[in-house]
Amino acid sequence: MKTAVFWGCCILTNQLGYEMSVREVFPKLDIELVDLHESVCCGDPIKSMNDFAANYLGARVIALANQTGLHDLFVPCNRCHFTISEAKNTIRQNQKAARRIKELLKEEGLEYNPDIKMWHTIDLLHDHVGLEKIRKTIKKPLEGLRMASHVGCQIIRYSDLGRVDDAENPHKLDELIRALGAETVDYAEKLDCCGSALTYSHPDSALSLAGSKLKALQTIKIDSLIVSCPNCGLMFDARQKDTATIIGVKLNIPVLYYTQLLGVALDIDEKRLGLHLNQSPIENLLAKISA
Amino acid sequence: MSLVDLMSMATPNFGSREKILAKLCGREIVNCFQCIKCTSGCTALKLLELKPHEIMKLVNLGFVDELASSEIIWTCATCLKCVQRCPQKASPYHVIVALRNLAVEREAKVPEGYLKAVSQILETGLAEACRKIVTRKMEAVDREYLRLPEVSKPKESFQAVFMKAMEEKP
Repeated sequence: MKTAVFWGCCILTNQLGYEMSVREVFPKLDIELVDLHESVCCGDPIKSMNDFAANYLGARVIALANQTGLHDLFVPCNRCHFTISEAKNTIRQNQKAARRIKELLKEEGLEYNPDIKMWHTIDLLHDHVGLEKIRKTIKKPLEGLRMASHVGCQIIRYSDLGRVDDAENPHKLDELIRALGAETVDYAEKLDCCGSALTYSHPDSALSLAGSKLKALQTIKIDSLIVSCPNCGLMFDARQKDTATIIGVKLNIPVLYYTQLLGVALDIDEKRLGLHLNQSPIENLLAKISA
Repeated sequence: MSLVDLMSMATPNFGSREKILAKLCGREIVNCFQCIKCTSGCTALKLLELKPHEIMKLVNLGFVDELASSEIIWTCATCLKCVQRCPQKASPYHVIVALRNLAVEREAKVPEGYLKAVSQILETGLAEACRKIVTRKMEAVDREYLRLPEVSKPKESFQAVFMKAMEEKP
């Protein structure tokens, strides 16, 4: 499959390990990525200020993807995926807003065509590539590892919008992890939010939410927490030390993007997967895998 | 000041309520029957005492001006559980977004982070600035060093059209 890709701000500016691992792993599963001509915001932070402008930005991403001539758009960020989905929905349901958005796009010589399927890492790998192909392609099964998954919020809610997995009982990310040979655990806090959206208004509370989830995870003895959203990755991995300071607990949970874990199972070099960029203590995990 | 205080001290303004309803385009908040499913699952309730069902009731009673100038509307973590679980499709999250938009229109106090995002988008197209990041061994690296493609910029025309979009009042 050849698909356009929209990375969003968080991945391009700081969650580079996610981007690196996707760029390494996808070609091995016969997915070719085509970057858009422009890197722009999806509209997510603008929603709170002006919902119309957010929908305009979301529609603009689709229009940019249309320029590639492809009919698939891969959006690896939960928040971008949600914002663009809501923009599509608004254009479908609200004629007045749709007309005005199209007028504004025209001023830049852009044209909106909704006939493009949006994918996220989870459904692209689970529904399109498929577990069977992943099982067959991996070179180094990750046996004997206990993993917990964190799917995030906006990629599974709300169902009326069309999301990639069940809103209350998501299972696809766990199945993807098990396809690599690892074991997955269920835990009570699985659906708890990482808090990243509160960074704009209540940064300490945002850290506190992420910290309390990590604290709960620490009691169930896992080898790693697996994420698939750059905002969740930022909170649980890059900011893990800050969350520990805020809640006053020592935390040492290895956090990996699913695509990084998949890359390890495909026996791709650690540095090419950006594993040196993870801030959480992943050394023991990597040692356990290569042992 | 709690929201209950806001209710007992203020007079409802149904004109402002209409503005919120217009922004919600079709989401029937009058259908809210206060089952409190939204509040019982609310992420922000744990830390910041956001009670979405109270927001729904206050909007329905016309206390919109008080909410638009209150800090409580900026505590939502946008986890969307309330939208998912509302049996009446009244969607507290969308009501909170509409209240935030109204607060911005009225130039009420908006958290700094959002204003920064807007100026960053105007400057580079992205809501965050590209920066050097550090490896686990504290080595500073950037995209070029990691052999990642350069981040492309939006067209010149982007800024002006984005400003136009920001001035729209749906």
